Amino acid sequence: MITPPIPVQMAPSGPTARTPLRRWLARIFTMEFALGVLSVGAVGLIWEYAQPMGIPFIENLPPLSKIAQTSRQLLSSQLYWEGWQYSLQRITGGFLIAQAVGIPVGLIMAMNRASFETLFPIVEILRPIPPVAWIPISIVFWPTRELSVLFIVFLGAFWIVVLNTIGGAANIDPNYKRAALSLGSKPSDMFWRIILPATVPSIVTGMAVGIGIAWEMVVAAEMVAGRTGLGYLLWQSFEINAIAQCIVCMISIGFAGFVSSQLIRIFGSYVAPWQRR
Amino acid sequence: MQAVRGGAVSVRKAGKVYDPEGLNVVALEDVSFEITPGQFCVVVGPSGCGKTTLLNAIAGFDKLSGGKILIDDEVLARADKAPKPGADRMVVFQQGALFPWKTVLWNVICGPVQQGRLSQKEAITQARELLGRVGLSKIEEQYPGSLSGGMKRRVEIVRALMNDPKVLLLDEPFRALDALTKSVVQEFLLELYDITPKTIFFITHDIAEAIFLADRIVIMTTRPGRVLKTVTVNIPRPRDYRVLTSPRFLQIEQEVREYIDSEARKAFNAGERELAQ
Repeated sequence: MITPPIPVQMAPSGPTARTPLRRWLARIFTMEFALGVLSVGAVGLIWEYAQPMGIPFIENLPPLSKIAQTSRQLLSSQLYWEGWQYSLQRITGGFLIAQAVGIPVGLIMAMNRASFETLFPIVEILRPIPPVAWIPISIVFWPTRELSVLFIVFLGAFWIVVLNTIGGAANIDPNYKRAALSLGSKPSDMFWRIILPATVPSIVTGMAVGIGIAWEMVVAAEMVAGRTGLGYLLWQSFEINAIAQCIVCMISIGFAGFVSSQLIRIFGSYVAPWQRR
Repeated sequence: MQAVRGGAVSVRKAGKVYDPEGLNVVALEDVSFEITPGQFCVVVGPSGCGKTTLLNAIAGFDKLSGGKILIDDEVLARADKAPKPGADRMVVFQQGALFPWKTVLWNVICGPVQQGRLSQKEAITQARELLGRVGLSKIEEQYPGSLSGGMKRRVEIVRALMNDPKVLLLDEPFRALDALTKSVVQEFLLELYDITPKTIFFITHDIAEAIFLADRIVIMTTRPGRVLKTVTVNIPRPRDYRVLTSPRFLQIEQEVREYIDSEARKAFNAGERELAQ
């Protein structure tokens, strides 16, 4: 039946053949890579020499070398690492509570019509209010500042996970449920083996968006209501006109956000291995 | 060849009226036919003739509004009886319903394990044997998402057969496949049918596919769906692609096309009228 494959003429090996090292280098040093290095380098150079060159607006910033020097000082100070510690605690706490409450609420709303009709109006009224707008009320409402910051972080991640869970669980292909019924799934099988796994990808998407919003919220809440944390340190640096320190804080927060999204991505590929590409 | 154990399907005066916004769409009207145990029955008819409605009623997904359906003299669906899906009637869906979050092996064993009919170990042994017999053993650890359309169909048929159903229900299972893959999967189904003959209820639009597979073809009218004619296909088994050009095949095809053509025209014209309104 199957005819043997036609032998393919291989490229002659010799001095022109590419060694593994050269192939590896060629894969990394592509045109895209060169352009990336060029653009980042250009921005760095403009920033560094903005003051002597008198480039408008950018000349008000401390040069890059000053930033590097400040970050060396800041990174060896206890204040800075305490800031990290507090912000991380708030992010972790608020984000995890948002998942622990939001995922079950979303699942219940998706599976039970009455609870959906009851809760959805409340969700739709409260959700459009930006979490930042909650800060004053939150300070009045919660007994400690710490709790009010935690609450703002929670709000940042909560709505998105609720909506994503509902969206995922309500849009499961009905044929999966039918197939499961035919295959003899009991109601508990239906939940644990069909509805929950089918919803996991949407939940992970909600987490990925939610962690980003949570970082925005922790910075905003610490600026306004906090006494510690990276957001607080950032605002304090601005108050004492330590702009270089401000920028180091900004970069730190950006880095923290990046690491958190990567962690969510790793978590996602662990809980939804079938989606790995 | 194994002996056939039961699986007589009897459809008696089945009727179904959909009532969205008082439109009273009659999907099925007075449909009666019998499938003897182990018979390969193919239903053909124009789009919207109620073929899937009928399959859903037999599968237990949907309620009839009149008449009844019996399997081995046991009433399965009746106008006043809420239907129940069961492992004695396995469905292979048009779009496919392998669970994407589970590996091929788990998909294949989940039926008997959930019903408590086999232990996980026994089910795995049996599944490996069946997958091996049909040349699918290499893919057991893969997720369905990484398989081709033809592969998925084959795995889904194996999953259905693992439950040792009385009746296998297939709703245009090969519709989305290209012509070459389709003929391979058709031969695969026939091969399995020859090994373990089951009562099969198979829906299609494709007349050649119907004749190639069937013992008996039930031709349905355009809406309201009724049985127009049943045609017996007395082509000996096992069959392969050579059957497709035999004089007997062409003679039956001619006969079926004559019945179907007028119905297809009616359905087409009705569609035009609906558009014109």
